[in-house]
Amino acid sequence: MTSTLIYLCGGVSLWVLGLHALLVHRNALRRIMAVNVMGSGVFMVMVALASRDSAVDPVLQALVVTGLVVAASATAFTLRLATADPLDEDDQERK
Amino acid sequence: MSAALLSLLIPLLTALILLLVRVRAGSLVILANATSLGCAALALHQVVINGAQQLNLGGWETPLGIRFELGPLTALLLVFTALIHLLVAIYAQRSRHSQTRDTDFWPLSCLLHASLGALWLSRDLFNWYVTLELLGLVAVAMVILSGPRSHVPALRYLLLSLAASLCYLLGVALLYGQYGVLDIRALAGVTSNDQVTRLALLLLTLGLMIKAALWPLHQWLPAAHAAAPTAVSALLSALVVKGPLFILWMLWDNVAPEELARQAGIFFAVAGIAALVSGGLAALRTPWIKVLVAYSTVAQLGYALLALGLLLYWQDATMSIALWLFVIAHGLAKVSMFLAAGEIQATLGSRHVSALKGASQTMPIAMFAFAVAGGSLIGLPPSGGFVAKWVLLQPLFLEPARWPWALGVLLGTLASAGYVFRVVAIAFDRADPNPPDYDPDVSAQWLAMLPALIVWAMALISEPLIEWFQEVGL
Repeated sequence: MTSTLIYLCGGVSLWVLGLHALLVHRNALRRIMAVNVMGSGVFMVMVALASRDSAVDPVLQALVVTGLVVAASATAFTLRLATADPLDEDDQERK
Repeated sequence: MSAALLSLLIPLLTALILLLVRVRAGSLVILANATSLGCAALALHQVVINGAQQLNLGGWETPLGIRFELGPLTALLLVFTALIHLLVAIYAQRSRHSQTRDTDFWPLSCLLHASLGALWLSRDLFNWYVTLELLGLVAVAMVILSGPRSHVPALRYLLLSLAASLCYLLGVALLYGQYGVLDIRALAGVTSNDQVTRLALLLLTLGLMIKAALWPLHQWLPAAHAAAPTAVSALLSALVVKGPLFILWMLWDNVAPEELARQAGIFFAVAGIAALVSGGLAALRTPWIKVLVAYSTVAQLGYALLALGLLLYWQDATMSIALWLFVIAHGLAKVSMFLAAGEIQATLGSRHVSALKGASQTMPIAMFAFAVAGGSLIGLPPSGGFVAKWVLLQPLFLEPARWPWALGVLLGTLASAGYVFRVVAIAFDRADPNPPDYDPDVSAQWLAMLPALIVWAMALISEPLIEWFQEVGL
């Protein structure tokens, strides 16, 4: 039980840290990393909850896997959007 | 049920086809939306005859599988979504100012349609998380279609939307940790008013309120909605913010313990009135046409929030009907308003409200569409907005203790009348009209008018609709 509690607290503090960074920083890359830290925090909470009994809960683990896929694609999209230079050729074409 | 699934699968399939081949995209999307509308109407017809239907995806039972439910409200929202998509697609295909003709707008709008359909049908907390993420990503991708200038508000919207999703997801994890179920019906019976549940509901509510741009977490909306191409602004304001609102309503109406719901109800109702007043005032002050229309969305969402708050506070089911009538009336009116504003702004060559001088002379049809849609937002009889307000006000007049809430509705009405008449008054200033840069496009203006005419026609069908809702529940 204690190890579950440690992981739970760790996850929640990661989430809070990420939220704090997201609110404080203005730089796009830092804010993207902050959102990712928040995500890792939530996944840690979910994994900790999944393994609190001797039998591991498969539903929560499936949720984490789905969540990771969503998080990875969202991060890729955010990075592309944040690094798009207004004078990029690709964007010039679109005009 | 199969008709409802088809109404979701047709746009999804069209989006996939359009990602591979991009031939005659506009016509294909219009065809897909029309078919989807037909399927949704058939699903609504089946619900009227047979009542609500269930589907366990893949044959798995609820603790493990995902359940879809087609109830009266879901069927109506499927029809509403398909109708709005059809109207916007016809405009985007026809107008030369839509900025979306040969872009990724077509597959993205189909994906948006499919994600909304999945959201209305889902009854599972985690499945809602996935549809919320889909909705957020597609919405941002659509905002940046208007070029590099929209990147800054789009990035802001995306980061807030992701943070809100993670807020929601932490809430879901806490609820699952406490009760071990994700299905909304299974959760409804077991929740108790303890600290974990309170914290989880707080996190879920925060995430959803950011996503739905409910006051006081609405600051991202005006910039993002105004930066998008016209057709996209219409879809965002009419549909995208309503998805999280649906989940919020489902959660508080079904899952939250009654005692907690009563306490939260007061907060929601006060926030609703604050949204009506502050959104209205901001719309009165802003110098930009599309930002004005976007602030009006913030204000109008206040009615929905007020209805939600009073629903929880009094546990009065009539308020749910008022809430969803507001959502549908606002969606149709806002599509019309955004399309008219976009068409006027592109033809007159300025984003400024003062450029509308003499627009009643130079672009009479678009201006009329704006005014007719504005009439429904104000709540003039017999529009859809009036019907919704009437359903909201009736229970308020029953007891003297409830009268102060009617004052809030009155304030909101005054504010909306203020910003609508601000635009109309400038448009009727014909002394020195602002000359258009292009010939006004008559058929595009009529396409902007169409949703406003539908919202006024809502008054004709609303009586049987309200009676049906009162009889079978939402």
